[in-house]
Amino acid sequence: MNFDAPYTIYILAAYGIGFVLLGGASLSAWRDWRRVSGAWARLNGRGGRGS
Amino acid sequence: MAAASAIKAIHQTMLRAAQPARFVELSGMLIPWVAALGAAMFVAGLVDGLALSPPDYQQGETVRIMYMHVPAAWMGLFVYALVAGLGGLGLVGGHPLAFAAARAAAPLGAMFTAVCLITGSLWGKPMWGAWWVWDARLTSMLLLLFLYFGHIALSRAFDDPRRGDKAAAVLGLVGCVNLPIVKFSVDWWNTLHQPASVMKLGGPAIDPSMLWPLLLMAAAFKLIFFALWLVRTRTEVVGARLRAAASRSRMEGER
Amino acid sequence: MTRRRQRLILLGVGMAAVALAAVLVISALGDSLTFFYGPSDLLARPDAATHRVRLGGLVEPGTVSREGTMVRFTVTDGKSSLPVRYAGVLPDLFREGQGVVAEGRLTPEGGFVAETVLAKHDEKYMPPDVAAVLKKNGEWRAQQ
Repeated sequence: MNFDAPYTIYILAAYGIGFVLLGGASLSAWRDWRRVSGAWARLNGRGGRGS
Repeated sequence: MAAASAIKAIHQTMLRAAQPARFVELSGMLIPWVAALGAAMFVAGLVDGLALSPPDYQQGETVRIMYMHVPAAWMGLFVYALVAGLGGLGLVGGHPLAFAAARAAAPLGAMFTAVCLITGSLWGKPMWGAWWVWDARLTSMLLLLFLYFGHIALSRAFDDPRRGDKAAAVLGLVGCVNLPIVKFSVDWWNTLHQPASVMKLGGPAIDPSMLWPLLLMAAAFKLIFFALWLVRTRTEVVGARLRAAASRSRMEGER
Repeated sequence: MTRRRQRLILLGVGMAAVALAAVLVISALGDSLTFFYGPSDLLARPDAATHRVRLGGLVEPGTVSREGTMVRFTVTDGKSSLPVRYAGVLPDLFREGQGVVAEGRLTPEGGFVAETVLAKHDEKYMPPDVAAVLKKNGEWRAQQ
């Protein structure tokens, strides 16, 4: 890619937005899973109900 | 006869896989592979789209925005159809996993639609000379984003999650009429947005050197969506189990 | 199973009703969803002379001239054409033979004064060398 071309800033912004939104969705999906699965493991560990 | 019994066997296998407990186990095995493949495709698409593919004869380097914009648009439409289909499945069949999967998919579809709108705007300013115009394609795509917002809000609007799921499913099905409008708006009306380049009669009007990064990115977006969708559905399933356990222990406490 | 079948029929009827309503609404809206009109459509519209309208078509090759900040060019749809006057910055994709959408008013003299000019891109994507080969071989725009 030729960075001296006009509108490089628009291209970088477009890819930047894509990274930020995709990355944000991935992070939040992973964080929610960690939270929920952690709570589930604690519940089963302490409650002794087994699974 | 053999085909019928094969279909029955596949159906039984799918039903078994869709049992919440089995689903959590199966998706746990699948997610790392899908995510890794999606990430690899994404890197390949980035290298091809940003470095290897040529500039366009009219747009110059700005054509590269397409490799983000078009796959995101396809995902926005595809995920909406998926959410609507899952909603219909939940309404008719009453399978608990269908609503959970719809709830998990909708925010991802909204995310892809937002990527499409923002990157499209960043292309429109230098190429058309405007960030935004109210033509039929852009307006129907913005409506798609609002349909997603409506679905997300409705599915979380009630104390009883089943009521929210049903209301959101109805909205999702009604909103389906917008999908052909988005797709064919460029053919039915004069729009500033160009007509389809890839999915059109007579084959793509796009050079293979530019079609490849586009298809790579499209495959990457599909796989990344699939991985995130599995993670989020699994979260919904275990979250529902947690809520059930909490209400059970509350009842035991009262006794 | 019968309740499920009932719900399935209800869903089918509901979807058919929604689809029918959508078709009716879209056909009633008709060309008010259109973003621009070609020169022949625009000249045939009675309200075009008094309202701000959008004119779209191809920039006829050889008609672009500049005096200071004023640009003049002719927009054509193959059947009719309209001379356009515009004082301002043109977008990068503005080229002879390419699509353009001008927003402005018809003048009593039968011209068009544009307040904004947008470039319309077509659905073709190719590298510059491929375009050059097509042009050299005379296959340019032959597929259209």
